[in-house]
Amino acid sequence: MTLVQLACQWLADTAIGTRIRESDNLFSVIETVHVLGIVLIAGTIAIVDLRILGILLKRQSVGAVLGSLVKIAWFGFAVMASSGLLLFWSEADKLYLNPAFRLKMILLLLAGANRWAFHRAHDSGIAAWSAPATVPRRARLAAIVSLSLWTGIIVLGRAIAYW
Amino acid sequence: MTLLQACEWLGSSSIGTAIRTSKWGFALIEMVHLLALALFGGTLLISALHSCGVIFKGSPPGAIARELGAAQLASLLAMIVSGILLFADGPLRYYANAAFRVKLLLIAAAVLTGLLSRFRGEAKVAALLSVTLWLGAAVAGRAIGVL
Amino acid sequence: MKQLNWKPVLIAGLLSMGSTAGIDAGAHHSFAAEFDGDKPVRLIGTITKIEWTNPHSYFYLDVKNSQGVVASWGCEAGNPGALSRRGWQRGDIKIGDTLIVDGFLAKDGSHLIDARRVTLPDGRIVYGGTPGDGGPEGNPSPPKP
Repeated sequence: MTLVQLACQWLADTAIGTRIRESDNLFSVIETVHVLGIVLIAGTIAIVDLRILGILLKRQSVGAVLGSLVKIAWFGFAVMASSGLLLFWSEADKLYLNPAFRLKMILLLLAGANRWAFHRAHDSGIAAWSAPATVPRRARLAAIVSLSLWTGIIVLGRAIAYW
Repeated sequence: MTLLQACEWLGSSSIGTAIRTSKWGFALIEMVHLLALALFGGTLLISALHSCGVIFKGSPPGAIARELGAAQLASLLAMIVSGILLFADGPLRYYANAAFRVKLLLIAAAVLTGLLSRFRGEAKVAALLSVTLWLGAAVAGRAIGVL
Repeated sequence: MKQLNWKPVLIAGLLSMGSTAGIDAGAHHSFAAEFDGDKPVRLIGTITKIEWTNPHSYFYLDVKNSQGVVASWGCEAGNPGALSRRGWQRGDIKIGDTLIVDGFLAKDGSHLIDARRVTLPDGRIVYGGTPGDGGPEGNPSPPKP
């Protein structure tokens, strides 16, 4: 066993991890929060991406859409991170070895990197994006990458149960 | 033909059988259901928050809901189609499942609320009611697999 | 200001993904992907291990076949909440108990079944499957004598 694997085993064996894993309803409740929380983070991010691509909310500027939705997405991130942590805590040893889980974590990191790169490159220019045609190609590319990554994250999240 | 007979027919149809016996069929349809849920829920949430004056404060009432209408309808249709396919995998089992029945009732109530709100005012109340009913339907959907 | 070139990041990500391939994980699964609804199995054996856990419970039996050879079999059942709603509590089975388990065989032919109907030591019969998992309705018929 590697060191990380041992740490995961230790985590799963703690009282909290065991309590969640052997619970009658707690695990199901946490899992439900995690699944429905998809709307808060991925739903809002998808709508921002679709606006950047000029597909919906065309009467609102990109800046207005971002401004309105970014706080919801961050709230969603907090919900997903905490529920995800508790789920991981209860099965850390198995999840660590699960290829779908590993890939999901990698895609999450990539989604974060993509978002960071987008804001670093475009924050100063977003105010000028009025008509859909004025959105730079790179920004639209980042939106497509974002949609793809989040689709992958959701699919892999469900796929965890199949490995 | 009774409802029970219709369920039996659906389950033994070529589509129902194909989904039940394929290794990944059920899983893939579930994933489509989930992706559609993300978008549908997103449009619902954003319309409701706008109705309550929390976001897009400069936009007139109903404007955001109108602009999100196409995406909302498309994702709802995707959920219904994938939902029917999931149901076809084992109609009798779902037919007997209390959570599934509750879910269908809540969906019917939510769709009705959405339709009615198009013709009446009180957007804020309708929006909150809609969100509550759809949230209830989603939780009932999760309960199907747990009860 | 130089824009971040995300291509190397993406390539690094793809390489990492590739490196995770081939990792074996004995984790949980859903019915159709793992079990064969056309292969009913009846196991009679003594319990050697119990995992009363989410998202699935597992118990392992030592089963003697017709030649007298003992093999270990795994039985997958629903989560603790679902099982307790079917009248099956955590302490109802103990290591050393003899169980009769009717279920469906794993598609990969391994010694794993999806436990559908379990006859407990006290004679009670409980349903062990997970609802909404895509599996066949009803329990497998008991084998002909």
